[in-house]
Amino acid sequence: MLDQFIEGFGMAMRLDTVTMVAIGLFAGMLVGSLPGFTTLMAMAILLPISFFMDPLVGIPFLLGIYKGGIFGGSVPAILLSMPGTGAAVATSRDGYKLTQKGQSRKALDMALFSSASGDTFSDIFTILMIFPIAFLVMQFGPPELFAVLLMSLVIIAATSAANPVKGLIMMMFGLWLSFIGTDPLGGVERFTFGLFDLRSGIPLLPMLIGVFAIPEVASVVIRNEKGRKLAALMGERLKFHEFRRCVRTIGRSTLIGTGIGIIPGLGQIVAALMGYSAAKNASSHPETFGEGELEGVAAAEAANNAVNGPTLVPLLTLGIPGDNVTAILLGAFVAQGLRPGPELFETQGATVFAILVAMVLANLLFVVIGYLAIPFFSRLVTIKTSILIPIVIMFAFAGTYVFRSDATDLLILVAFGLFGIIAKAAKFDVMPMVMGFILGPSMEYAFGQTVAMSNGDPVGFFATQRIGALMILLATPVLGYVLWKRLYGRPKTIA
Amino acid sequence: MMKKLAAALAVTGAALTASGATAQSDYPERPITMVIPLGAGGSHDLNARVITSIIPSYLEQAVIVRLSPGAGGQLGTQEVANAPADGYTLLFTHNYIDMLQQHVENLPYNPSEDFVTVARVNYAPIAIAVRADSPYETMDDLIEASRENPGSIQMAHSGNWGALFVPAAQFMQALDMSWNLVPYQGGGPALQALLAGDADVTMGFPSSLGSHLDAGTIRILATAGPERIYDDVPTFSEVGVEGDVGFMHRVVLAPADTPEEALTTLREAFEALGEDTTFNRMMGRLGENIDIITGDEYEAMRAEQSVAYEALVNELTSQ
Repeated sequence: MLDQFIEGFGMAMRLDTVTMVAIGLFAGMLVGSLPGFTTLMAMAILLPISFFMDPLVGIPFLLGIYKGGIFGGSVPAILLSMPGTGAAVATSRDGYKLTQKGQSRKALDMALFSSASGDTFSDIFTILMIFPIAFLVMQFGPPELFAVLLMSLVIIAATSAANPVKGLIMMMFGLWLSFIGTDPLGGVERFTFGLFDLRSGIPLLPMLIGVFAIPEVASVVIRNEKGRKLAALMGERLKFHEFRRCVRTIGRSTLIGTGIGIIPGLGQIVAALMGYSAAKNASSHPETFGEGELEGVAAAEAANNAVNGPTLVPLLTLGIPGDNVTAILLGAFVAQGLRPGPELFETQGATVFAILVAMVLANLLFVVIGYLAIPFFSRLVTIKTSILIPIVIMFAFAGTYVFRSDATDLLILVAFGLFGIIAKAAKFDVMPMVMGFILGPSMEYAFGQTVAMSNGDPVGFFATQRIGALMILLATPVLGYVLWKRLYGRPKTIA
Repeated sequence: MMKKLAAALAVTGAALTASGATAQSDYPERPITMVIPLGAGGSHDLNARVITSIIPSYLEQAVIVRLSPGAGGQLGTQEVANAPADGYTLLFTHNYIDMLQQHVENLPYNPSEDFVTVARVNYAPIAIAVRADSPYETMDDLIEASRENPGSIQMAHSGNWGALFVPAAQFMQALDMSWNLVPYQGGGPALQALLAGDADVTMGFPSSLGSHLDAGTIRILATAGPERIYDDVPTFSEVGVEGDVGFMHRVVLAPADTPEEALTTLREAFEALGEDTTFNRMMGRLGENIDIITGDEYEAMRAEQSVAYEALVNELTSQ
C-alpha cells in the first residue's frame, strides 16, 4: 500500500502531466465562466482526446477541466450575480454584494484560495482514508439519503432567509415547481397543463439565471445610471490577514463538504449551503452574511470543492460512478484499459495513487493559474454599464439557449426573471425556493424508493431496519428549532 | 496512434468551425449531429464518444454528440422526429425507448413511422446478479424463493420501463413469480444497492458487472441470449424464459424521409467502422461488443419488438 503510494507519487511528477493539467484547468475555467456551458459538457467533448493520451496524462487532464470548471462557475456568480450551476448559488450571495462594494477582486481571490484549500484537504483525506470512506458510502441507501435531504432542507429554511416564514413559503413553492414534469418513479405527468415542453420539468439553468441575474440587471437599468459602472474599481487583492480570519470557516466547511461528499447523491449544492449555514451560525455577527461577507464566500467555496475528493471513492473502489462527472471519468479509465473496481488497487495501485497525487498537484497549479487570471476576469465589472448590461443580457439568453438548444427555455428565463424582480421588490429571498427546487426531486425519489423497499410499511421499516435514518429524522426538528432560536430568537437589524 | 489523434483533433477543429473538407459526393457537406436522448456519462454517452471519435475518418465530416435527456428519452427522440430529414440529424437510442414507450403512454411522435434504421451498433446481453454471499446459489433457488414468498425478494432496477426493469418484468411474467421492484437512478446505483445489501438481486451488463465478478463480490445466475456467456451459468432459455429477452440494442436512427443516398453513405460508414481496429480495441476496453446490422435487417427486429412489448405492457398494466 505505502510502497504503491510512493511509486505513484514518483509517477505523477512528470512534465507532460503537469502541462496537461494546467491546460485542463485553464480550459475548464474558461468554459465554466461562460453561463450555459457546463463543466460536464467540456469534459464530455474533450473525453475522446484523452483516449489517445497516456493514462497519467489524459485522466489528470480531465480532472483539471473539472476543477477549473467549478471555480469558473463562481466567476459570473460573483461578478454578475449569475450562477451558472447550483454549486455557485451560495457563493453569489455575498460575492455579488462584494462586487457592488468594489471588492470583486478580493471576492474572487477568496473564492480561489478557499476552493483550493477545501479541495486539497479533502483530496489528502481521501487518499489516506479511501477504504474507510468506501465502507461508509455503502451505509447510505435511499432511506438515509431521504433523511439527510429532509434535514438539509430544514436547515436551509431555518437559516437562509431574513424572514423565516417567507423562507418557508418560498421553499414550498420551489418544491412545487420541482414536481412539474414527469413523476420520477411512476412516469405520470404532473402539473404540465398538457404542455409537452414541460414534460421533462423546468430546467435549472434558466431558473438560476432568471431569479439571480435578471433582477440585478433590472435594478441597474431602473436606476438609469448610464455613465456609471457596476463597480468603480475592482478593488485590492486579498490580504493575508483577511484569509487568516477565514481559516476556521474554511476548515469547518472542508469537513462539512468532505462529509457530504461521502453520501452518494448529495453533491456540491448541498455542501455549499450547509457550509454557508454553519458559518453563519457560528459567527458572532450573522447579520453581515448576505451583505458582502468574505467569510460567506469562503464558507460556500471551501465546502463545494471539498466534495470532490470523496466523490471519486465509489468510482475507484467499486467502479460505480456517483454522478455524471465521475461517469465520464469512468469512461476515461476504461478506455485506457484501467477498469475501476475492486481489483484496480491490487493490479494498478501505483497508477491510481499517481492519479490522486496528480489531483493534489492540480490544486496547487490551480492557485497559480487562478491568481493570474483573476485580474482579467475582474476587469469586466469596470466596463460602463451602458455597454456591460447589454452584454450581460446577451450572456443570459445565449447561455440559456446553448444549454439545451431549446427555445422554450428562453420563455422560462423571462418568466423567472420577472418573478425574481417581483420577489426582490417584495423582499422574498429566492434562495430557499431554488434549494427546494434542486433538492425536491432527489428527496422525492429517495422517499419513493424507501416506500418501495419497505413493501408499503415505511414506518415499521424505519423503526426496525433503518435505525440510523430514523435517528436523523428524529433529530431534524430539534436541530431546526435550535438553529431558528439561535438566529432569530434575539433582536437583530431588519434585513 | 498519433495519426488517429491528429485526425481526432482535426475533426474537433472542423466541428468547431463547422466547415471542413467537402467530400466527393454531395453528402455529407457539413458536420452531422447525433442526438442522445439520455444523460451525460451513461453507457450510450461513452459508446457515442468512441463512435464519434473514429467514424469521421469514414464520413470525412465530424459527428457531434448532443445530449438531450428528459421525459424518459422522449425529449431527444421528439427533437430528431421534428428535425429536417436531410441526414444531418441522427438519433442514438436503444430498443426500449424506441419500441416500448409507445405502448405505455401517448407519444408526440410515432416511432415506427417517423424513424428509419441507419445501423444497430451493438447489443448488450443482460445478466442476473446476486451478492457472492447470497443464499441463492442457482437461478432455480431464486425462482423457488420468489414463488414461496411473493414480493419478498428486492430487485434493484434502473427506472420504470428501462433496460433492467423490462427483462425483470418479462421474467416475472414468464416464470409466474413476483419480485419487489425498487427503482434506482441508473444501473450503477442499482448495483451499489445490491452490494450494500439493500437489494437481493439486480441485473446488469457484462461491461459493468465484469470487475465485480472477477473480484468475487457477486455471483451471476443467468445470462441473456441463446448461448452461454459463462461456461457454468445457464442462459435465460435454459431457465425457462424464451424469446428476445434481456437485450439492449444500441441503434442509430434517422428521420423517416431521409434521402436514400444519405442513408447509404451512413450505413457504409458504420459497416466500415465495424472493421476498424482502433474502434474494436476501444469498444473492447469498454466491455462492449460490436455487431453492426444496417437498415432492413434491424427494421424487421423493430417490428417484432413492438409486438412483444405491446403484449408485455398490456399484461403488466392490466392488473
